[in-house]
Amino acid sequence: MTYKFIGKRIKRNEDPRLLTGQALFVDDVDIPGMLHVAFVRSDYAHARILNIETEAARQHPGVVAVYTAEDMGDEWAPGPPLVSPPPTLAGVIFNSRRQSPLAKGKVYHAGEAIVAIVAESRYIAEDAADEVRVDYEPLPVVVDLEKAMGPDSPRVHDDLDTNLAAHMFQKKGDYEVARAQADLIIKKKFFLDRGAAVAMENRGVVAHWDEKSQQMTIWDTTQAPIPIRNGTAARLGLSQKQVRVIAPFLGGGFGPKAMMFYPEEMLIPWLSMKLCRPIKWIEDRRENFYATTSERQQVHEVEIALTNDGRVLGLKDDFLHDTGAFDPYGLTIPLNTQCHVTGPYDIQNIASNCTAVFTNKPIVTPVRGAGRPQGVFIIERMMDFAARELGMEPLELRVKNLIPPEAFPYDKEIIDQAFAKLILDSGNYLPVVEKAREMIGYDQFIKEEQPRLRAEGKFVGIGITPFIETTGVGPYEGVRIQIEPSGKVNVATGIGTQGQGHFTSFAQIVSEQLGVAVSDVSLVSGDTAEFHWGTGTFASRGAVVAGSATLAAATSVRTKVLKLASKVLETPEEELELEDGVVRVADLPHRSISLGELAALANPLRGAVEPGTEPGLEATDYFGPAYGATSFGVHAMIIEVDPETMMIEFKRYITVEDCGTVLNPLILEGQIHGGVSMGIGNSYYEKMHWDENGQLLNASLADYLIVTAHEMPNRIEVGHLETRSPFNKLGTKGVGEAGAIPVTACFTQALENALEEYHLEILESPLSPNRLYELLRNLTMSTYGREARK
Amino acid sequence: MKIEGEYTFTGPREKVWEIIRDPEILATALPGTKKLELVGENEYEGEMQVRIGPVAGVFGGKLIVSNEVAPESLTLTVEGVGKVGFLKGSGDIVLRDQDGNSTLMKYSGEVQIGGKVASVGQRLFDAVSKSMIRQGLGKLNEALRV
Amino acid sequence: MSDLFNVNVTVNGTLYEREVEPRILLSDFLRHDLGLTGTHVGCEHGVCGACTVLFDGNPVRSCLMFAVQTNGHEVTTVEGLGDIDDLHPIQQAFWEAHALQCGFCTPGFLTTLVPFLEENPDPSEEEIRNAISGNLCRCTGYQHIVEAVQLAAEKMRA
Repeated sequence: MTYKFIGKRIKRNEDPRLLTGQALFVDDVDIPGMLHVAFVRSDYAHARILNIETEAARQHPGVVAVYTAEDMGDEWAPGPPLVSPPPTLAGVIFNSRRQSPLAKGKVYHAGEAIVAIVAESRYIAEDAADEVRVDYEPLPVVVDLEKAMGPDSPRVHDDLDTNLAAHMFQKKGDYEVARAQADLIIKKKFFLDRGAAVAMENRGVVAHWDEKSQQMTIWDTTQAPIPIRNGTAARLGLSQKQVRVIAPFLGGGFGPKAMMFYPEEMLIPWLSMKLCRPIKWIEDRRENFYATTSERQQVHEVEIALTNDGRVLGLKDDFLHDTGAFDPYGLTIPLNTQCHVTGPYDIQNIASNCTAVFTNKPIVTPVRGAGRPQGVFIIERMMDFAARELGMEPLELRVKNLIPPEAFPYDKEIIDQAFAKLILDSGNYLPVVEKAREMIGYDQFIKEEQPRLRAEGKFVGIGITPFIETTGVGPYEGVRIQIEPSGKVNVATGIGTQGQGHFTSFAQIVSEQLGVAVSDVSLVSGDTAEFHWGTGTFASRGAVVAGSATLAAATSVRTKVLKLASKVLETPEEELELEDGVVRVADLPHRSISLGELAALANPLRGAVEPGTEPGLEATDYFGPAYGATSFGVHAMIIEVDPETMMIEFKRYITVEDCGTVLNPLILEGQIHGGVSMGIGNSYYEKMHWDENGQLLNASLADYLIVTAHEMPNRIEVGHLETRSPFNKLGTKGVGEAGAIPVTACFTQALENALEEYHLEILESPLSPNRLYELLRNLTMSTYGREARK
Repeated sequence: MKIEGEYTFTGPREKVWEIIRDPEILATALPGTKKLELVGENEYEGEMQVRIGPVAGVFGGKLIVSNEVAPESLTLTVEGVGKVGFLKGSGDIVLRDQDGNSTLMKYSGEVQIGGKVASVGQRLFDAVSKSMIRQGLGKLNEALRV
Repeated sequence: MSDLFNVNVTVNGTLYEREVEPRILLSDFLRHDLGLTGTHVGCEHGVCGACTVLFDGNPVRSCLMFAVQTNGHEVTTVEGLGDIDDLHPIQQAFWEAHALQCGFCTPGFLTTLVPFLEENPDPSEEEIRNAISGNLCRCTGYQHIVEAVQLAAEKMRA
């Protein structure tokens, strides 16, 4: 299919505002009379609250109000469950525990909010917060996942017998049969740890209850404004019409901003109503490490069963998943892990046993990747170990087990985060692998370069990792499109945007249908007053689901345009074309009418609109996919390890993606680059360090290291192949998380390959230069380092 | 976090013991100590100004002496709470005679910190605590000569 | 409350006279007292670089300075670099190279890069990476930013 706008490198509509400091972020909202909130947060990870002394804070000049859980009276209640466990899965156990707006009686993790101070300025609120005294009775702390499930472990929730948050078992085929038939069984145990999302903008909420108009307006750094509106209305006893939630420009989301009902999101609007004043709370960076969700800790015990010729017969995975102190987000992350732990491979026998565990740590919800990187890490590690045992070339083993093109749609028979069996819609994996192999010069590197560089004493290694990404899940999104009499086109959708370029990529879809310049299409996203149906931006679904709804609505508007223009120009619709903002007769281009004039005609001031027609050139449409669309890709890298410092240099970095139709290659590349940077952080620099008392020891950007321009490869080369998704008319598949998903797996493979002579076996992630040094030293002092190279 | 070390005082063991059991001297020796008062048998209350990297604040708390075997050994238990977090710990102190009228102090203990001081200051806590101990013991040693 | 101090500071060419508490950070002063919200705050301790502004032409972290320190000086924020209809070459290059996604860190990159490009009209890639190594971006992976700087340098030399 040839497009005029779709698939073009078009620069973004939203950028001029962002580049000149004119874009509105939540902390930029300023309302006369606005008050500011600071929180007193728990110093302890697990403790009873014996007493809260707030009198001095209340007396502090400039303090307007101080609230504890007790002060909230009957209106104190935990948030609603956000995502329930999959109803289609038999035998699932799920203990739902949600966080309350302010801790009552007990704190469950360090940094939990206990007291809210409302004051004339943030400075005063923080001064007063220092004057609050909380007396605690420290309780034993649950940090380690395995110990948490031991019989003598202290319990996070007093009313539960254990720290079990959830248990679910999923299977395909019969692993035991596969095991019995296998020539080779490999068993390993893996430890994956937590990282933070670190959006550059921390969270924030501004709530303004206007008593006279009885309207609540909320500016929220949320990826999901509509659920926030609906939930807030329900909580505050307002009608949905009385609540408007605006997610303006967001300084990155990466998942945690879609947690939906953080304590602050429940509390700030309530305070605004209570005090009849606009109220602002802006999270600081340290709060962000505790009060915003994070992800990725799991412990896996895995078994893979293979034949001698490298056919994977089955995989068994028994894993613990850290859910933190509460589990409002249900089982999305471990379900993703279960769906990705068999990767792009045709494995007929799967047994996956998941136990989600409560710990005295902040809540776990999806972070870019959302359980997928863990699954990919596990299967790719197992593939590497299997290749080693079988004496096979690692890529050959992978290729041998890829799902073949004729097998699509391919039923994984594992329930995914959309609570339906994961069906891989389409794909042709081998050409993507071959392209990556060619781009990175795999064979030449293995045969020539690597031996030569090794002879020079260099530690160079290669990794090549195929992976899938389930994207574009339902339930649905909607879009309204209207042509104005000016000829400009308004588009409104309910999903939020956090830098993904929706203002532009959706405009391209509209331009394609209506023949207007992309810069003439203006999008409003994330304002419930503009559009109030939908769920939000997460799970790499924006382009697929809201993009498809945009296509549907644009097509409907086009139909209206053609119908009206046909009448005005007295020409059959088939002979008309939409180009450069006008409708014209294809063969007689001077016979034309602009879209703006048509829009004015469609909204007449006199006369009657014909029965059965609607005024204006406007349409609203929805898209709800029965299944998601699954992207496929390959990352490949060549790295060099400095054996003295353990620092890594990326010599090459290749990605090849098949995400169906590409809407805007510029934006796609940006998504991939950013995902890779997060993946590199997750692989080698970023880790949240908890001590045994549940204290986070690196809660600042000085100690928690996200990658800078120096740690990145100089060039990420992005290749693309296209297998259109049959599930949506755009043929597109999501890609928002793809950049991040396979990086740790690929990096680990490359690292082991670079250090091949030490027979290093990496069973954990993230690593760090220090940790790598430890691993090597532990292996054997005598064979390590300079001596070994001599 | 573990704290461990030893220090040689230039004075006899009895004298060293006297000094470490005297709250007034102890207060002058512990860096940042604003006050230290005896409030019960072997129990002191005090305030201490602490700076660890970017985190600075006053900790108010208790110091309890137990397992006392004069003039040989004792156990110190500390509990402090401040606006920047909390710290608690306990450690054993043992004094041994050395040659030439000097005394060797061996100390070992565990300290736990929480709150802001842990999340932002942890990286420096080890270095800061070591330097505070060194400074404090140096001051005590000076006091011996008076 | 503490005493108020007079601050006379020229921001983006306009002289502002304000009375502020001595503890008010420059970042808060710019954002909340002057309403120049283009300067963003990402970490509050000088690591992320989002709040970078030009102080007498040199990049500084406005979260690490007090407003009173700017008395008698000149400050340039992102709002002072160019307008929507008349972008600075570095802003234009960021736009063309897709060097921003969420755009939150972008003002800090731009204010860091303006004096850098003035001093280094033809920087190498290594020099560019050094120049931006004190600015954190979570969205772009930096590659398009590096390309934008190269593009801007080209434009500015022409």
